[in-house]
Parts: sequence; structure tokens; C-alpha cells
Amino acid sequence: MTASAVSALPESLDSNAVARLSRDEPAWLRTLRSSWWRRVEADPWPSSAAEEWRRTKLDDLPRDGALLTDPPRATYEVDSALAEQGVVFTDLASAVREHPDLVQSHLGRRETIIPQGSIWARSLAAWTGGTFLYVPRGVEVDGPLMARTELPAGDYTYLPHTLVVLEPEARVTLLEEISSPDGASTWFGGTAELVVGPGARLRYANLQRLGDGAWRIGAQRTEVGQDADVITLNAEVGSLVSKMGLDLRMSGKGGTSKLLGLLAAGGKQMIDINSCQDLLGSHTTSDLLYLSALYDEAHAAFYGVTRVRPDAKQTSSYQECRNLLLSPKAGAEPIPVLEIETNDILRCGHGATAGAIDPVQRFYAQSRGLSADEAEQMIVRGFFERVVAQIDSEPIKARILDALASRIGYAELDGIAA
Amino acid sequence: MTDQLEIRDLEVSIGSKQILKGLSLTVKVGEVHALMGPNGSGKTSLAYTLMGHPDYRVDAGSVSWRGEDLLNKKMTPDRRAQAGLFLAFQYPSAIPGVTVASFLRNIYNAIHHPKVAAAVASDGAMPKYTGIPLAKFRKLMEEKMALLQMDPAVAARYVNDGFSGGEKKRLEMLQMAILNPTMAILDETDSGLDIDALRAVAEGINATLSPEMGVLMITHYQRILNYVKPQFVHVMLDGRIVMSGGEELSHQLEANGYDWVREQVGLPAGIGDEVSEPVAEHV
Ligand SMILES: Nc1ncnc2c1ncn2[C@@H]1O[C@H](COP(=O)(O)OP(=O)(O)O)[C@@H](O)[C@H]1O
Ligand SMILES: [Mg+2]
Repeated sequence: MTASAVSALPESLDSNAVARLSRDEPAWLRTLRSSWWRRVEADPWPSSAAEEWRRTKLDDLPRDGALLTDPPRATYEVDSALAEQGVVFTDLASAVREHPDLVQSHLGRRETIIPQGSIWARSLAAWTGGTFLYVPRGVEVDGPLMARTELPAGDYTYLPHTLVVLEPEARVTLLEEISSPDGASTWFGGTAELVVGPGARLRYANLQRLGDGAWRIGAQRTEVGQDADVITLNAEVGSLVSKMGLDLRMSGKGGTSKLLGLLAAGGKQMIDINSCQDLLGSHTTSDLLYLSALYDEAHAAFYGVTRVRPDAKQTSSYQECRNLLLSPKAGAEPIPVLEIETNDILRCGHGATAGAIDPVQRFYAQSRGLSADEAEQMIVRGFFERVVAQIDSEPIKARILDALASRIGYAELDGIAA
Repeated sequence: MTDQLEIRDLEVSIGSKQILKGLSLTVKVGEVHALMGPNGSGKTSLAYTLMGHPDYRVDAGSVSWRGEDLLNKKMTPDRRAQAGLFLAFQYPSAIPGVTVASFLRNIYNAIHHPKVAAAVASDGAMPKYTGIPLAKFRKLMEEKMALLQMDPAVAARYVNDGFSGGEKKRLEMLQMAILNPTMAILDETDSGLDIDALRAVAEGINATLSPEMGVLMITHYQRILNYVKPQFVHVMLDGRIVMSGGEELSHQLEANGYDWVREQVGLPAGIGDEVSEPVAEHV
């Protein structure tokens, strides 16, 4: 642990630590933190009997590290014209100081699904970083906003929380990127709440490039308002263990969402995604598409629930999970669950595959002069394209392709030595 | 004369099944050979073996290209391609998500732009592109597509993904035209084409043909040979070449069928033929 990067006094995560975090904070936030911490104390860890937690055991989670109380701050750049229109894009702690009313009315107001409850509660109690983005009614932000954080080396615990609020008819695209050096047993939380108001449009990408010893135990809660249009993308590239809970609520009538995922994992990486697409409102559409390329001894698990509630009439939903196994020791376990509580639906389905590259396809590419590695990279690149093609922001696409380049190379650079 | 592909007494098996049973054939650069044979006689197995498919085990014999031993372990399929060999597949594979344009540029660079040992950028920035300049490549591709009467929109489609049989075969010919090999093995490039597609493909072959290129044209039917004239015709049955001749042999074969060949060489009818079928293809 580098002492300079992490607070000098080890802060183990307990009620005192939470109280100390709150020392200089407004009373409402102190109350908020302590009420979420009481939830943690009542129910500190997910039950390993829960279906969502059967594949990732938290026994080896590096939980003795100090709390990272002074995390590096991403650069938050937002046009002054947008700022004048009321757009707020900053870190959560600054937002508390500069826009307390705004933060107070949205932060920590909502529950998430039970299996993620303790993860959610812990970061709402103990967050020390994260992004705050607020886009007022009808304001359209052109071009992507980016929050990139490079974490220091160290065996610490960091539980940032991101809050994104789009008022009705607002539009914005955001990338959050997190990276850390290899070799440290970091416990990285990383929860996000995305609240998308009626008629608003959100494109949210999360790029995880943590070091090879990091445990990422995160959760995302997305609420899609009436006629809102949301695409989220989670690109999981780094970490030793990555566990992500996706809580998607299609609450407003006519809302549309896509949950996209790109996973590239090797070594002994374990990635475990559990999604819950909860269709509450009528005429909603929710699609999930996760693509994973698994190398070496990497494993991925997907436990995905689609819940179509009695009022969710005339809805369409799908979950699709495709896994390319690049090594005989890699594995994937997709488990879709559909709970349909009305007959009046347009569609509710799932598709899942896990398999190796077709040897003839590999031979075909190799017979054209590509080395075995180049052929494989090209095939995986093509495999990812179904998701990559849906990233309509070029700078975000470039960041994601850059993160994947060590696995799949660069499509543009076919004259280059590997 | 070493400017040739020389196959001697080749025996190949897959699993425990012997497929090629002592096959010999020499194709010189500048020559066009037709290899005809019924289904199941081993034509594709020969093509795959020549290109280095890992599943085909060579038990005996030799294969050399321009004096170099192709059966050397180092001669992986990509090395063979870089040495000038090209195989047009009977059943080309789809590569979803990879556009024809990107694929062609990749394979062009793989063949024509030997890799430079670029220093890996330590800051994680994208390394510099050293292949054919984009504009130049575009021009080359468009020129060759026009030659094969291909819809330019094909460049933006994914390789063979959802292509019709005819589109796939044209794309094989486009790859050949762009890579400009010195020895092309065409595995039933004429099968499943309607007459217009056949003509376009044949014109493409003829336009790519040169005295610097040898062709082994594997076919089931005589039809394509009306467009691309072979100097040599070989008939393959049950893993061997049983008859060789000039162009006239293809006409005799068309008139008399493979049973005539069997009679001539003293094999019982039906041997080396998985499904007995007429030689002429009806479109
Ligand atoms: N991958 C394979 N596994 C087992 N048998 C094969 C395989 N490929 C070809 N064969 C067999 O080898 C023989 C020759 O097949 P092939 O080379 O495809 O013939 P052709 O191209 O002349 O129709 C056939 O009996 C076929 O069933
Ligand atoms: Mg064949």
C-alpha cells in the first residue's frame, strides 16, 4: 500500500469510519449514511444460498484494506454554456458541497433488488468518490462526457457511488472508466444509480480496467421513465473477480432500454453478472446482449432474470448471452430465467450459447495469410462487433477498443507487428 | 525446373480413414490443370492438405512448392499463403462482424506487407499503421470488384455472412484477385452458380491468370472449362488420379460419365463415388 495515496490511518470499515467520513458533511448526509450503514449491520453480506451469489463466494474478498478516503478525482469537463443551463458534472463529494439540494433530493432514495441490497447499502454508507451528473429538463448535451479515474496501487477498499439524473427530455452520453495497477488486492465497489426521466435519452458506458488482483463487487440500478430511451454498456476487461448486479426497472409506459455487455477475460478471472430486467410499465422494451470472450482459465456466469409484471402489457423483452471460449479451460454458464405474469405480451425470450471458434473459420482466415493469433483476434473482433457497432460515440468506442486491444488487436492496424 | 507444385505418392488420412491413397500431380507455374472427380473422391481433402489444414494427416509422400517442402511443420497455412498459395474454398466460412473491406485489407497486408518490428508504444497509444495506404487499397478493391461485376455495397457487408452461394464464390475470386497468388487451387468454384455468375467468376479467373500463376481447378463438371481452358485434365477416383489427358478428356468425361472412367481403369462401377450422379449439372 502506498501511504501517500491512502489515508495514513488505516480506516477499517465500521460505524466509526462511516461517522468519521461524515464529520464535515451536512446533517442530512450524516443521517443518510448512518441509516444505510444500519442496513449493512443488519444484513452485512449476501447469502451464498441466493441464486445470484452461488457462483461468486466472498470468502476471499480482500476486506481488511483501509478505506480509500482521498481518492483521485477524475477530470470532469463540461462546457460553460451547459453549466449555465444547469448541467452539473462533477464528483459526488463536490456536488454535495456545491449543489446540496440537488444531491439531497436524489441520493440514496431508492432500494435495489434484495440480492444486491448489502452491496448497495455499503457504498451508500461509505462512498468517498463517484460521479454526479445532473441534466435539467429538455437540456441536450452533445458529445460524450467522460469521467476517467486511475486508482493508485494498494490493498485498499474503495466504494464509489455514481448518481446520474436526467430530468424529462434531457439527453446525455457518459463514459465512466476505472483503472488500477496490477498486483494489488483492491476491493473496488462501484455502484451507480441512473435515473432517467420521461422522454429522456441516456447512453451510459462503464469501462472496468482494474488490475489483475482487484475484486470488483458492483451494482447498477437504472430506472427508465415513460418513453425514455436508455442504453447501458458494461465493458469488463480487468480485475480478478468481477461481480455485477444489474437492476433495471422499466417503470414508465413506452420506455426502451438495452443492457449491453462486453467481457474479455483471461488468466483465472471470474466474471459474474446477474441482471434483473423488471418490466413494470406497459409498452416497454428491454433487451440485454452480453458478449464474452474467455481465454485461459477464465469463467463467466450470467444469471439473468426477466420479470414481466401483470401491468406490463404489450411489452417486448429479450436476453441474449454469447460466449466465445478461446481455451479448453475457459467456461461460461448462462442461466436465463423468465417470470411472465401476463399473457398480453409481444415477446419475452432468451438465447444463450457458449462454444469455441469454428476450426474451419479459423483455417479459412489463416489460409489467407493471417497467423493463428491474428486470425483469432479478427474473429473475436467480429464477434464483439454486434455490441461495438451500437456505441454511437466515437471517443467512447475508441476508449473501449483501446481497452480490448491487448486481446483483439486493432482493426485499423493490420499492417502492424503484434 | 522447380517453379512448380509437386505432389508425390501422397497418402492422407483423417482420423482412422484413409482418403488420399497415393496421389501424384505436378502443376507448373503458368499452367492450368483441371481436376475432376465424383463426390467423395477426395478433391477437397487434397485442397485442404495442400493448404495445411491441421486435421488432415499426411501418412506418406511429399509435397513441394518451388522446391520448398510444404509438409515441414513450419509451413502453417498462413506461411503457405505468404509463399504464394491460395485456396478458393468449396464452402467459404462466414466471419460475422468483419467487413469484406476490412478483411481484404487485413489479408492484403498479411501477404504483401511483411510485418515491421514496431516498438510497442509504452504509453498505450495506438501503434502506427504501416500497411497499404487506405486510399490506394480502396482503389485496388474497387477495381477488382468491378472486374468481377460485384456490387460495391458488398465491401461493407460481413465476410460471407448471409451471402448466397454465388456471392460467396465471387468473394473467393475477389480475394484471389487482390492477393494475386502464384498457385491457386480452386475447389469447385463453379458449383452452384447460375450462368451469369459462372461467367463473371470465369472472367475473374481469366483476368487474374498470368504466366506467373499456376491453377489447379477442382471441378465436378465440364461447364467451367468452356470459359477457363485447361491444358491438362485429371480424373480422380477414390483418392488417386486414375487418368490424365488434355482438354478433350473433359469432353469425353462429360459424354460418358465416371463409370466410363472406372471401366477404362478396371474399377467396379460406383467405387470412389459416394452418390452416383450424372456429370452434367442442371441449372
Ligand atoms: N473431416 C472429415 N472427417 C471424416 N471424413 C471426411 C472428412 N472430410 C472428408 N471426409 C471423407 O473423405 C472422403 C473425401 O471427401 P472430400 O475430400 O470432401 O471429397 P470431394 O471433395 O471429392 O467430394 C469422403 O469419403 C468424405 O466423407
Ligand atoms: Mg469437395
